[in-house]
Amino acid sequence: MKLFWRLVFIAAVIVVGAWLWTVFFPAPEKVIRHRLEKLAADASFTSKQGNFSRLASGESVAGFFSTNIEINLNVPGHEQVAFASRTEITQYALVARERLKSLSVKFPDVNVTLAPDKKSAVADVTVDAAVSGQRDAIVQELKISFQKTQGDWLITRIETVRTLE
Amino acid sequence: MSAPIETTSPPRHGWLRIVAVGRNPRLTLVRILVLVAACFVVFKFILLPLRVSGISMEPTYHDRSINFLNRLAYLTHEPQRGDVVSIRYAGPHVTLMKRIVGLPGETIEFVNGKIFINGVPLAEPYEKNPCDWNLPPEKIGPDEYYVVGDNRTMPPDDHVHGRVERKRILGKVLR
Repeated sequence: MKLFWRLVFIAAVIVVGAWLWTVFFPAPEKVIRHRLEKLAADASFTSKQGNFSRLASGESVAGFFSTNIEINLNVPGHEQVAFASRTEITQYALVARERLKSLSVKFPDVNVTLAPDKKSAVADVTVDAAVSGQRDAIVQELKISFQKTQGDWLITRIETVRTLE
Repeated sequence: MSAPIETTSPPRHGWLRIVAVGRNPRLTLVRILVLVAACFVVFKFILLPLRVSGISMEPTYHDRSINFLNRLAYLTHEPQRGDVVSIRYAGPHVTLMKRIVGLPGETIEFVNGKIFINGVPLAEPYEKNPCDWNLPPEKIGPDEYYVVGDNRTMPPDDHVHGRVERKRILGKVLR
């Protein structure tokens, strides 16, 4: 019986250890998913938010991107948008906060594929953006490329995926 | 002399207890567990509940209505013309709901709002609203289907429609 309880204790220690390992050293896929969740939260804003809060979240959006970026968003029914620098992203985020009452961004589906060298990754995501005053939400599939730079997973490229040809 | 006969009367339970856990609590627990497991399997993998968002399938499916997606519909046969299907983006949580009007290998075109398949007009009893779309002939690939919504009152550029790969079709939407 003593042996049984020892085995139970060892198994519990292994399980807790494995859990703690994933908490302190998360897998790159998990880190990227978390980054996307944060990006969605920072890109979103409500009419109740104060100007200072809106400004801060608008400026923080650029922090998710690398200095060299290539973003081409071509959503059917909307104007094509392209960015080549962090400054352009910040400006666009701030202009959006001025023009729109609220914006809610979500990534309901995220599939992350890590490169063999584990220094880059591609996330195939569905973006669901609800804009105030628009009846239908903007739903689009995107391919987001990440590069690990100084310990951070930064976005280097975003391209739209055409679900229907 | 005959042996005494023991009679056992059923245990008397309170009516509230019978309503709450049944005459046999263990059996009730097993029933509940089986029911929960069955619901989980059915509504997670077979009949997926979905909420319609938008007006592109009016008047067949209304905005904010609740429906179910049959994920086993195409196990034994391929999608058919007229089927309303769910089309995935990156995953199954947000999908497109459209009707299949063109099958693999066919040529489709819109002339004054009427669909022509290989030059023959397509009867669409579900199409209730007038439409004036004119789109040039388009060849559908061998592993593709042409999908469009039932509500074509808006210009074609504002309505998501076109060729979709078979692998993106998740299942058939129940009516």
